This record gives sequence, structure tokens and C-alpha cells, in this order.
Amino acid sequence: MYDRPDLSELLDAVRMHLEDQIIPAVKPDPRLYFHTLVAINLLKIAGRELVYRDAHLQAAWQRLNALEDTDKARPADAQEAMDALALRSDQLCAAIRHGDYDYEVKRAALFEHLLQSTREQLEVASPRHLQILQQEDAAS
Amino acid sequence: MTDALDFQQRLSAYLTEASGAPATVTHAAPLAGGASRDMWLIDAEVGGEALKLVLRRDSPTTMLDEALTREQEFGLMQAAHADGIRVARPRWLCTDVDVLGAPFFLMDYVPGIAIGRKVVQAPELAEARALLPAQMAEQLGKIHALDYRAHGIDFLPEPAEGHTPIQDAIDQARGVLDALQIKHPAFEFALRWAEQNAPSSERLTVIHGDFRIGNLIVNANGLAAIADWEFSHIGDPLEELGYCCMRDWRFGVRHLRLGGVGDREPFLQAYERIAGTTIDRQAVDYWECLGNVRWGIICLAQANRHLSGHEPSVELASLGRRSAEMQYEMLRLIEQMGI
Repeated sequence: MYDRPDLSELLDAVRMHLEDQIIPAVKPDPRLYFHTLVAINLLKIAGRELVYRDAHLQAAWQRLNALEDTDKARPADAQEAMDALALRSDQLCAAIRHGDYDYEVKRAALFEHLLQSTREQLEVASPRHLQILQQEDAAS
Repeated sequence: MTDALDFQQRLSAYLTEASGAPATVTHAAPLAGGASRDMWLIDAEVGGEALKLVLRRDSPTTMLDEALTREQEFGLMQAAHADGIRVARPRWLCTDVDVLGAPFFLMDYVPGIAIGRKVVQAPELAEARALLPAQMAEQLGKIHALDYRAHGIDFLPEPAEGHTPIQDAIDQARGVLDALQIKHPAFEFALRWAEQNAPSSERLTVIHGDFRIGNLIVNANGLAAIADWEFSHIGDPLEELGYCCMRDWRFGVRHLRLGGVGDREPFLQAYERIAGTTIDRQAVDYWECLGNVRWGIICLAQANRHLSGHEPSVELASLGRRSAEMQYEMLRLIEQMGI
């Protein structure tokens, strides 16, 4: 549909430009240097999101099905599926606030879902952070 | 450059008026770091005396409604300074927005390093780091002993009538999420857990509100000055003991729970001696967890300052994705305490 570079390659091209050309040039300005490092990190996050998004979407959908003991079909279109997942997330919030998950078995299942969702967020946002904490937990 | 020159000229005119002596700003440079306030390093000659100052100015949008105004922050720093708390000497306050576009104040520049990563990792600060835990305990003891009525700083936000500090903290956090129309299952669960597992509060004191590595200016003698007083309020002092132990303030030195500079237990014991009270360790754990909940939610609010279009900033945007680190930590702490 589109010529290369593809989306992931476009992000890489911009990131490499920032790393190789801009970073050395802005080093004397601490604020600009810091903000450029932040920008590079955001491009890396965007790149990882492209890699993981479909798998994380699918996993979250299935976990919610298990948690709510249903077998809802996921919309085939990715954007529709994301919107549907956001809606289910909203409903889950209302149920938590309502006290539906206050009791042992459901509470533990909810907790596992939240922990796994957070791990998946970190795989995109900060894989190194996740890895370090998982090593710590395994060691203790 | 015209903007910079204009800034210096306006500030020179202000200083001349405020100090009653001829004043010239010879240099003004923005300071890095701090997403919430605009900070400048200022060289000035005031009445023939060379001064190195720091200017702190409001950003176009504020972080939280609960933050103090520059006028209040200035008054609190004056009170702290008068009580011998390590804080930069506050010098001049300007609430006239015509001078620099927003209220600001000037304080003495305190030489040292505040950048968290450097404070916990720089080899040349090894001796300073050894001094920090006892100094942090001592300074917190003094802050928590501030008589806010005597100093005329009774503007500090207090828990709502009939509310505990924990109820207030939870309500505020929920309020931020609701105002941003963010529905977030992990925070929803954590806030409910926090409500159902709240320890009781024994004391109400002045709280600095953001006391941690990264807001402490450190030199060879350890803690030189405590910065960033804008989140000060009346609250449970255990809030502050848990807060400065949060993982995010360890800056990579993960095994030292007190801000990457020390173990928690000696710090708590030092605080107990100074404050003359016994501290419930489990309550400190709880506040550390709640600190992660609140900081994680504030990260989302910070990202929204960018997303709203009012304050475009790559740094603010990045905080939206940093929030997950605090979410993971809050969940781990809840698991350790028992879900």
C-alpha cells in the first residue's frame, strides 16, 4: 500500500537522526539535551508498541473474558477492538468501585489481570525496568 | 535574544524597586529539570553587592489545584528558614504579573547538586551520601515540628472537616482521575484497596509534600537545602516517611530503600529519636504504596497538560508512559502487604 520505509522504519530513521546528529549538537544546552533524550525514548516506545500491540490486545481481551466468565468475540478490526477493550475497561472500573471484586477469589483473579496488564504496559514503555524487577522478585 | 534582554531589563528594574538600591541583572539562564516550575539562575548586582539568585516562576498551567501559590510557598520558606530548617534564603516575592508575565520569587542560590541520579551515584558524593539519612531524618523532624499557626502559614491545605489525611489523599487522587475522565482499573483497584486497608493517623503536622532525593540540594557536607515546597500541606507525617522511600526516588540504586542512599530502618530510628515518637512500620509501608498511587496518577495528569494543547512538552508527554512504573510498584507493594 505504501512504499518503504514502513512505519517502524520511519520511526527508526527519525530516532537515528536525533541520536547521531542532534544529540551532539545540543549537548551544551542541558534542557534541550534532556528533552532530546526524552524524545528518543518516546520513539523507542512507539516502535515497541508497533511490535507488541496486537498480541497485548488479544491477551487483554482473553483475560477479561476469563475474569468475567464470558466468551465475547473480539472485533476483527484492530481499532474497533481497541475501542471495545477501552469500553470493557471502563465497565471493569465501575464494577471495582461497586465492590464486585471485593471478595477473595474474584479479587485474586482481578489482581492477576491488573498485574499482567501492567507488565504488558512496561514491556512497551520500559522493558528494562520490568526485567530488573522480575529478576529481583525471582531472587527473593 | 531580545526576549532574554527584555527579561533581564525587567528583572533589573524590579530588583531596583524591591531592594531600594540600584540593581542590575548581569546574567540569566534557565535551569534544567523540574517539569512543574520555570526556574532561572540569576547573577545580579544589588546595591554594589554581587548576588547569585534563583528565580522561581509559575508555569502557564499548574500541576494540581492543591499546589501552593508562589506567595504561599515564599511565606512557608520564610517560616522554615526562621526555624533553622535547611532551605535557600527567600529574598523577594513579586505577585505583579506585569513584571515577568507570572508571579515569581527570588531566593539565594545554594551551591550543590539536586539531580537525583547524580546524588545517588556520583563517586565524589560518597561521603555526603553517608550523612544524608541522618540529616533527612533531622530535617523532617524539624519540618514536622513547625508551628504553622505561630508562623502565619495557616493557609496550608488541611484535611477536610471530619476526614483523615488518607481519605483526603484518596479523594484527591480520584478527583484527578475523574477530572481527566480517565477510567483506569489498576488505579481503581489500588484506591479501593487503600480505602479498605487504611491505618489510623496519630498526628497532624506540616508536611513538605515532596521530600525526596531529587528535591534535596546536596554538597560535600550532605543536605544543603530542601527545595520545592509547593506541595506542602497539613497531614500525617508518616506520609512523608513512606514517600521518600518510593522506588522512583532511588534513581537506580534499588537496594537502598531510602532514596538510594540508605536502608530504611536506621532512618526511621533516627526520626523516632528526633521526633520522640514510635513509628508504625506497616503504616509507613502503606504510605509508600499510596505515594506510588498518587505519583502514578499525577504522571497521567502531567501528560494531560501536554495533551490538552495548552502546554506542549515532550517531557510532560513522556510522563504518561512512565505512570506504568508506579502502577507496577503499587501492585507489588499491595501484594507484599496482602491484597
